[in-house]
Amino acid sequence: MHQPVGKPLSSSGAQSDCPMRGRHRSIENTEADAINVSPLIDVVFILLIFFIVSATFVTLPGIEVTRPQAVTGKALEKNAVIFALSGENEIKYAGSTVQLEEIPGLVEQASKDRGKPVVIQVDQWADASMLAKMVAQARKKSADVSIATRKPKA
Amino acid sequence: MRRRLSPEPERTEINVSPLIDLVFILLIFFIVATSFVNEVGITPKHKDTASSSSNLEEPLAFDLPASGQLLQDGMVIRLEQVAPLVRSSSMDKAPSVLVRVSPGARAGLATQVMDQAMLAGAQAVKLSPLAQ
Repeated sequence: MHQPVGKPLSSSGAQSDCPMRGRHRSIENTEADAINVSPLIDVVFILLIFFIVSATFVTLPGIEVTRPQAVTGKALEKNAVIFALSGENEIKYAGSTVQLEEIPGLVEQASKDRGKPVVIQVDQWADASMLAKMVAQARKKSADVSIATRKPKA
Repeated sequence: MRRRLSPEPERTEINVSPLIDLVFILLIFFIVATSFVNEVGITPKHKDTASSSSNLEEPLAFDLPASGQLLQDGMVIRLEQVAPLVRSSSMDKAPSVLVRVSPGARAGLATQVMDQAMLAGAQAVKLSPLAQ
């Protein structure tokens, strides 16, 4: 610790004459005060905790498919168990290929008694009977099975 | 701000700027992460055929053979004819529609048939696979 013998630091140059009097700041004291950030931190933390709690992390299938067009498509539940059926008729779940018979077990495991809906992302060139079998398998464990579509271009 | 003359137990303030930076980054991440999956789709609802009352009337059946055609009652129809057929078949109530697909049919066509049927007001749409 060296003594600031010479000129004081430029940023905090507006030192009061006596360091002991710095607490009693008067109106005319134009010292660059630090903003009190404690309420800011409080609010930000509350927002952070809110978004952490409300965040739902879904397991994506890991492939991108060309969804069929549908005009009656509605926004689906975000917190869903998502399967994909690729154009090569492979069922994808969480990045790996699964078999048709594994679907009810996976749905049950992923939804954990909360009755999550199931969304099937199907490629429009996939086999329709495979899709029908997937829907039938998923309906064994979930009452709400949807097929992801895309809006047709207007 | 205040001069520290010596290691005397003076009131020091923790620098909270890195904390705020970190918290803001986490906050923005979680805000963005809430809308990662935005999926639209159709939900073909059909009653499970436990009750026999739903079998009183025959559902309107569309067939998708492996040839890629769309058949209704043995006749080849186009996709645009699905909605009028569903509408005309329902005199008083919303009909139920059955889409029978053979292996080799395209899932895109099956989905579009279901979409058209739901557009025409079908209340129950069932997708059923046909064994070859």
